[in-house]
Amino acid sequence: MKLFCLGLNHKTAPVEIRERLAFSETHLPENLAEIQALKSIRETVVLSTCNRVEIYASAEEPEVAGKQVTDFLIDHFEIDESEIGHIEFYEKHEADAAQHLFKVASGLDSMVLGETEIFGQVKKAYATAQSAGTTSRQLNKLFQQSFQIGKLVRSSTKIQQGSTSIGAVAVDLAEKIFGRLNGCKVMIVGAGEMSRTTAQSLLSRGASSIIVSNRSFDKAEELAAELKGEAVRFDNWEANLGGIDIIVSATGAPHTVLHAETVEHAMNQRPGRSLFVIDIAVPRDVEDQVNEIENVYLYNIDQLQQIAEEGRTRREEQIAICEEVIEKHIGEKGIPALAEQTETQPEKRKPGETEPVTG
Amino acid sequence: MEKLYLGLSTLCFLGGFIFAVTALRSGRVDPGRVNMAIIGLGFIFQCLFLQIRGKMHGQCPITSGAEVLVFICWSIVLMYFLLGKAFRLSLLGTFTAPIVFVFQGLALVFLILDQTPIERVAEVDAWKEMHASMALLSYGAFALSGVAGIMYFVQDRQLKSHHPGRLSYKLPPIRYLVDALVRLLGIGLLLLTIGIVSAFFMENFPSTLHLVVSGSVWVIYAGLLAVHLFKKLPPKRLAVSSVIAFVVAVCTLAAL
Repeated sequence: MKLFCLGLNHKTAPVEIRERLAFSETHLPENLAEIQALKSIRETVVLSTCNRVEIYASAEEPEVAGKQVTDFLIDHFEIDESEIGHIEFYEKHEADAAQHLFKVASGLDSMVLGETEIFGQVKKAYATAQSAGTTSRQLNKLFQQSFQIGKLVRSSTKIQQGSTSIGAVAVDLAEKIFGRLNGCKVMIVGAGEMSRTTAQSLLSRGASSIIVSNRSFDKAEELAAELKGEAVRFDNWEANLGGIDIIVSATGAPHTVLHAETVEHAMNQRPGRSLFVIDIAVPRDVEDQVNEIENVYLYNIDQLQQIAEEGRTRREEQIAICEEVIEKHIGEKGIPALAEQTETQPEKRKPGETEPVTG
Repeated sequence: MEKLYLGLSTLCFLGGFIFAVTALRSGRVDPGRVNMAIIGLGFIFQCLFLQIRGKMHGQCPITSGAEVLVFICWSIVLMYFLLGKAFRLSLLGTFTAPIVFVFQGLALVFLILDQTPIERVAEVDAWKEMHASMALLSYGAFALSGVAGIMYFVQDRQLKSHHPGRLSYKLPPIRYLVDALVRLLGIGLLLLTIGIVSAFFMENFPSTLHLVVSGSVWVIYAGLLAVHLFKKLPPKRLAVSSVIAFVVAVCTLAAL
């Protein structure tokens, strides 16, 4: 049996195509059984996330299996003639397929380099296939090794260091000021998409309460309801500054809305407490002089973007080191799943039957 | 032999500092555990030095300026081991090492130059031992509060510059630094209070100058804490004050 991987990802296909080919989580066990039922396929795992759809399989003849899986996908997702021309699958065989999975599990093939979510997604995809009875010795060994490598790469390199998005940078900076964000009060000025995303990132790390203010009070109420916060009228938002730890400002105003004098006055009401001001509006909402006030830290969108860019560059510099780690691991331990092809192969199992994990 | 131990200890702190700075600059190695091990080794040599000197004197080895400096260094490192982790000050050791290196380096030079023979005391006054050791342990806590103040400056500067570098990611958050600084001031003040109170039970009451100097240090720190607690001193001013107060406290040692 030979290993093969067929799929597409964020580098090879736009979101319109990826969403057309995304497997539904509910029906995945049945779909796995359907793929395994294809003539030349012995074992299979489907990895379907927002950034990739990949089918890993062990097959007698990978070339034939590739064609069969492609036909299955076209048929299953009801892709018509006009769409087929826009879809381009990549196909990897044997060691290439294994190495590709190792990179995927390590976050090296992700849109956000080094992100950790993919590791959990690979684990889940494998667990689903295992409980559906579509894996056996070869894919068990392959996926077990990918988990080992994923952990090794993350623990022995700096691929996860630094933030790569504006929201993540803002949260990191907030944690550098306040430590744990539990108990931090956040104020959103301007109920746009950027402020919503940033507020959600802060809430996900423990920020306790949100106050939303917007010129249109309806929009403020809408966002406040979504974030389980409180809406305040735009002409009254400055009065609430005294109790706030983090301000996210993203109004569409053509002039500054937060002045140094106002912040200085608010800081006098809250001695000893720091204030983090995130200005993601263009044109800027907050006067530059605000950063000169003691215990106040102001970051605008360019400064956040620059830090995110530095984070991305740092992670890119780690790719070669990560690849070395993978090569070294393979050099020492080989790829046991490839050796499996020469051994006696088990019969296809029925859904629900499980195979004990070996090696 | 004890001077060799002191020399080795001093080298450990220099080595720890150089290693940590190199590791932070390259970004390839996390200085945490290795640095802790190097500082731990330096601490063991400090203990050996103080143990030998203590046996030679027959009392707590704080009979000369050089020994007092080494004892303060020992207190600083002890406080770091006891409180550094609890106060989430992982890099405190890196910032402490150069202070310990300078103090111990000076002590080593004084000890090498000083050829006065050591006289063993016939009887030990327990209250005197308590007074001196508690007062010097409080200097350890005050030194660390000054170090926390310096770390606050570095972190504040990095965050204000909009280019927080590797050092910023390794330094504790601003809020934790201020909390640790205040707690260290409190611990130092408590130890100093015990030290001063012990002086009243000594067989030979200390000189007026001694009491005035110790009392002045106590007043400075008590005043600083009181202003912070009741008037909410801004963190930057608190950090500056903690550094200045420690420099003043060290200068008072010369008067003693």
